[in-house]
Amino acid sequence: MSDCIYDLRGVGRSYDNVHALRDVDLRIDRGELLAIVGPSGSGKTTLLQLLGGLDRPTRGSIVFEGRDLATLPQSQLTALRLRTIGFVFQQFNLIPTLTAAENVELALGPAGVRGDVRRARVEELLEAVGLGDRVDHLPSQLSGGEQQRVAIARALANDPDVLLADEPTGNLDSTTGDEILSLLQSLNTEQGRTVIVITHDSSVAARATRTVQLKDGAVVSERLVPVP
Amino acid sequence: MIYIRYMLAELRRRKGRTMLTALGLGLGVALVIVVSALSNGLDRAQQQVLAPLTGVGTDMSVTRPIFVGTSSSNGFQGLTDKERRELEKENGGQRVGFGNLQPGQKFTRSSFRSTQVSFPASEVRRIASLDGVATASGGLTLALTTVSGTVPKVSHAQGGFGQGFRGQGGNGGGGFNGPRSIDFSSLTLTGVDQKTPTVAAITSGQLTSGTWFADNDLKQVIVNQSYARSNQLKVGALMKIGGAVYSVIGIVKTPVGGTASDAYIKLAQLQKLSDRAGRVNTVYVRADSASKVDAVAASITKTLPGASVTTAKTLASQVTGSLEDAKNLTSKLGIVLELVALIGAVAIASLLTLSSVTKRVRELGTLKAIGWPQRLVVRQVTGESLLQGLLGGVVGIVLGIVAAVAVGAFAPTLSATFTSAAQSGFGFGGPPGGFRGGGNNAAQAATSEAVKLTAHVSIGVVVAAVALALLGGLISGAVGGFRASRLRPADALRHLD
Repeated sequence: MSDCIYDLRGVGRSYDNVHALRDVDLRIDRGELLAIVGPSGSGKTTLLQLLGGLDRPTRGSIVFEGRDLATLPQSQLTALRLRTIGFVFQQFNLIPTLTAAENVELALGPAGVRGDVRRARVEELLEAVGLGDRVDHLPSQLSGGEQQRVAIARALANDPDVLLADEPTGNLDSTTGDEILSLLQSLNTEQGRTVIVITHDSSVAARATRTVQLKDGAVVSERLVPVP
Repeated sequence: MIYIRYMLAELRRRKGRTMLTALGLGLGVALVIVVSALSNGLDRAQQQVLAPLTGVGTDMSVTRPIFVGTSSSNGFQGLTDKERRELEKENGGQRVGFGNLQPGQKFTRSSFRSTQVSFPASEVRRIASLDGVATASGGLTLALTTVSGTVPKVSHAQGGFGQGFRGQGGNGGGGFNGPRSIDFSSLTLTGVDQKTPTVAAITSGQLTSGTWFADNDLKQVIVNQSYARSNQLKVGALMKIGGAVYSVIGIVKTPVGGTASDAYIKLAQLQKLSDRAGRVNTVYVRADSASKVDAVAASITKTLPGASVTTAKTLASQVTGSLEDAKNLTSKLGIVLELVALIGAVAIASLLTLSSVTKRVRELGTLKAIGWPQRLVVRQVTGESLLQGLLGGVVGIVLGIVAAVAVGAFAPTLSATFTSAAQSGFGFGGPPGGFRGGGNNAAQAATSEAVKLTAHVSIGVVVAAVALALLGGLISGAVGGFRASRLRPADALRHLD
């Protein structure tokens, strides 16, 4: 039996009588590359926020590595986001005034990594996403694809088990998007990280090991993609 | 340090806002510095005016003012019979006796009057023995009225000779509406213990020319500068006092607020001349230290009932004029201005911080999403504001010092007017047939002194101003930090929709 990392039971999330999610049951295994697809307003982002411990469900339970995120204290949710879960955003969300290296360093600071170790780790991470020669560049001096690589390096800073990506290719041209997808895919296949991607893009879904489709806040279909 | 670099980078990014906030706080700080510097400058100006008072060498002077017509124990009621007789002898039934003069006869009559109740010189020793008293010296200040001339030939129908006088107050001279052949003059005279040249009505330090009294029986007089000027007296000149001839040995400039007499002679000589042997009416006291002045003043009042103790502090309270107006203005309006400017600056800083936090929802949300704990996000926002406050403090110091220097460069002149009430208010009158007169000590003596205003910036004020700017930064940071802490991390992603 595969190792379950997320177990969602009857999860619902309402905002002022708007039901963003209704009664979602979902099980995600460790090492999956899961694509969550669906039209706008189908509840994809809400689901990602719940998976990342950024928000709590109004109903149901989200058991992550044995702990229910619905009831976990805020401080432990913060610790989870710091060490176990990495986020990648559609608009990269880099701090425009800081260099690529400093942006990655921001995620290492609260983890209590010492200064010299931190610098080495930052270079190693940027090297790993192919930006070894761009460490001192500001986001504005980097292309969209490069910025997203910095964001991925930042997400990987504390070696998380899970990578949550919200439309990671949404702001990129198809070639660059493909490169980013390949990077995420390699993180999944080579490093065994669980990668959960929200996407509109069918090519993204095509690379996933499983696709979950949402509509009106509910799971309407699941499709397992056979590993080639 | 990544956090500091981040704070600085953020402040650089929002250059306009940063400068605006720093300028706002800076203006508030500058105002605090300028008002404090002016206040310091005014204090100094006041000290400059009052310094000669402390230069008198007496930290306080003790008198016993007469309270005529009161039945309180402060007046004559508290005196022993012997003292009362002494005082009656000095101030009571005396008259310039004209009774046995014949028409056409030449005459000179001198009369000494006192504005203060005198007391035995033994009181000086008692005060000197009080705890906290370094030196005590007795003094006797009297008004000498001299009437001289030729008795006019008048008819009885005019109501008698004695009713013809009307003396008038005036510095160093008396008016007279009687016959022209009679001179009427008044002079205030103080007896000084020549053995205490540092603690007395005048001190050797106040001499503008000449020397201090010799410790012998020579008849010497030291003359007040203004009296010397109006009577064209110089060191070496001779001066007639109460029928005796004195040589002028010194000219003295008494300070604003000092109880200036026209002339000063040795105490023993004045006591003899005025028939007040062993009597004094002012005791000049120096305390061991300035901090003991109040305590000593209190114990003197206890020792000598009815005594009035004048300290430099009471003198200071009598200073008026533009100096005092400016002081009041800075202390009242200045503080209000400071408060308004600071509150305004902090309000602006808070609003700008608040709006910047609102604009940075995604950024701050992202920080929370990548695992920044709440306190770190709040610290970041507050830290930026604190740095802004520090910048405001620096801007404020520069502005404040420039303004203070400008004030110093223009250096407006202020005047301090001192109204001396200590010597005032005792007109003496006799029964019908006597005369009523007043010398210069019966009027309120008002003296003025001009001082240049400077603004003095002290390190303490600069430190306090920077602390205020930092406090302003901290308050605005706390406002922004509170707002940031209310942000839900989910907003970071929501903003992408």
